[in-house]
Amino acid sequence: MFHLNRRAFLGASTFGLASLAAQESVPDAIKSLHPMTAGVQPIADDERRSRIDKARRLMRQNKLDAVVMEGGSSLFYFTGTRWTGGDRLFVWALPAAGEPAWIVPQPDQARAHDAIHMGSDVRVWKDGGEPYQTLAQFLKERGATSIGIEERARFAVFEGLGAAAPSLTFASADPVTIGCRVIKSAAEIALMQHANDVTIACYKAVLGTLREGMTNADVSANIAAGYRALGYRGDALVIFGKYTAFPHGSIQPQKLREGDVVLIDDGCNVEGYQSDITRTTVFGKPTARQRQVWDLERKAQDAALAAAQVGAACESVDAAARKVIVDAGFGPGYKLPGLPHRTGHGIGLDGHEWTNLVRGNKTPLQPGMCFSDEPTIAIPGEFGIRLEDCMHVTENGARMFTAQSPAIDQPFG
Amino acid sequence: MQQSAQVPVAEYRQRIEKLQAAMKELGFGAVVLEPGPAMMYLTGVRWGKSERTFAVVLPAKGEPVWVLPGFEEGRARELIHVGDDIRVWQEDESPYQRIVEGLRDRGVASGRVAIDDNARFFVFNGVRKLAPKLEYKGAAPVLKLGGASGR
Repeated sequence: MFHLNRRAFLGASTFGLASLAAQESVPDAIKSLHPMTAGVQPIADDERRSRIDKARRLMRQNKLDAVVMEGGSSLFYFTGTRWTGGDRLFVWALPAAGEPAWIVPQPDQARAHDAIHMGSDVRVWKDGGEPYQTLAQFLKERGATSIGIEERARFAVFEGLGAAAPSLTFASADPVTIGCRVIKSAAEIALMQHANDVTIACYKAVLGTLREGMTNADVSANIAAGYRALGYRGDALVIFGKYTAFPHGSIQPQKLREGDVVLIDDGCNVEGYQSDITRTTVFGKPTARQRQVWDLERKAQDAALAAAQVGAACESVDAAARKVIVDAGFGPGYKLPGLPHRTGHGIGLDGHEWTNLVRGNKTPLQPGMCFSDEPTIAIPGEFGIRLEDCMHVTENGARMFTAQSPAIDQPFG
Repeated sequence: MQQSAQVPVAEYRQRIEKLQAAMKELGFGAVVLEPGPAMMYLTGVRWGKSERTFAVVLPAKGEPVWVLPGFEEGRARELIHVGDDIRVWQEDESPYQRIVEGLRDRGVASGRVAIDDNARFFVFNGVRKLAPKLEYKGAAPVLKLGGASGR
């Protein structure tokens, strides 16, 4: 349920060190994993062009004359360009009519030249120059006055453009960007399938190498090593024992002991498309209580899967899983012990993206939507259980990318 | 990961006081921050940005207001040592409502509010829709005057 931000967070602190320290002790079962990089089909430029066409239709429907985005998953979705780094303004502006343009800082011109392969209108601004004037000038040329801002663009972009062109009005670009991204094509689903397969291969190898006394950071490092052997980058949140009741773990140090619940959660990406899988098991012999709660969790996950039919409201999928958990005496609502969060999130180029399986979301499910199905049961002071597989909606109901975990002592189906 | 271990709480409080003086000088009622270097410097809290809004409202007068996802409260309380006004939002509730309530409870119902320049548009836009009368400005100048940038 859990992604990039946390990944970066761990990467910057203890995890990086643990990763280095643990490299020499990576078990053979992990080192001997073979690359799974063959046969991956990246998204074709034709598909990106059809996304742009759809975006323009949605812009007209939503009375937006242009959308503006910084580097990130939406930019990659429409243009295939990855861009990170720096405070200097680098944006792509797509008008409802006419060619889009790139606004590029002069010091990054060469890098931009390599990164940009769709569109030829590249407008370079020099250090000490006025990037927002450049952007405003472009929007003026296209007759754009109602501007959609991509959800993750910085406040600074909104403020800078507003100051450069006070007559512009601003709204969220969400109806356009989400309107496109929420429905996945066959090519996208194939990439997500591959990412899921890689993650399962990694988890299988790593869960086979758990040893008493390992820290959760050791296991995270083994997962990162597994992904490297498989030809990808990724790692995972790993939580032991009572800390599994915190859905995203705890800063407390954790050493694996007999009888601990073990939770691993996260994924990798293939051509940008994310996997997100959680497995929860027990190191050693499960107690009756652990088994009972695990079985309930699996029933809740099944209920969400069954409810995820075309036309059903997103919130009804959450309600189906929650009902199983509440009927067993947990909750109600988000109350602990119980299910403290939504049942699932959208997934695609972002590990968490629109739209969510959450109370209040009446969006009807459509073929091509992809979600996580992960109704955690958290019992503070004891443990938490989360089974998370991702599913894609088809005309005949939702289909899991991965075989669900069949039992507490069998993480893989 | 014990990110606040090296800096005593009193020092964070001094940093916030310095920022409050800068707010008064520049005419801001509050600074709203998403996770990032400024939040880290002023409060010691390091938190990964996700689609779930996690923010701190630092008013010109009064204690900080923390706004964070309900199910993260346990993990967040391990990290938050400055201020104990923690307002959670549940998954079907609005974090922006909590931010606006926090502003209002600290006496900021009109005037200027400084927004983290790196805050994502959706966070700002959510607040703006609920409090359209506030005037929003980038926080860079007030953070600079308060000594809270460039770290």
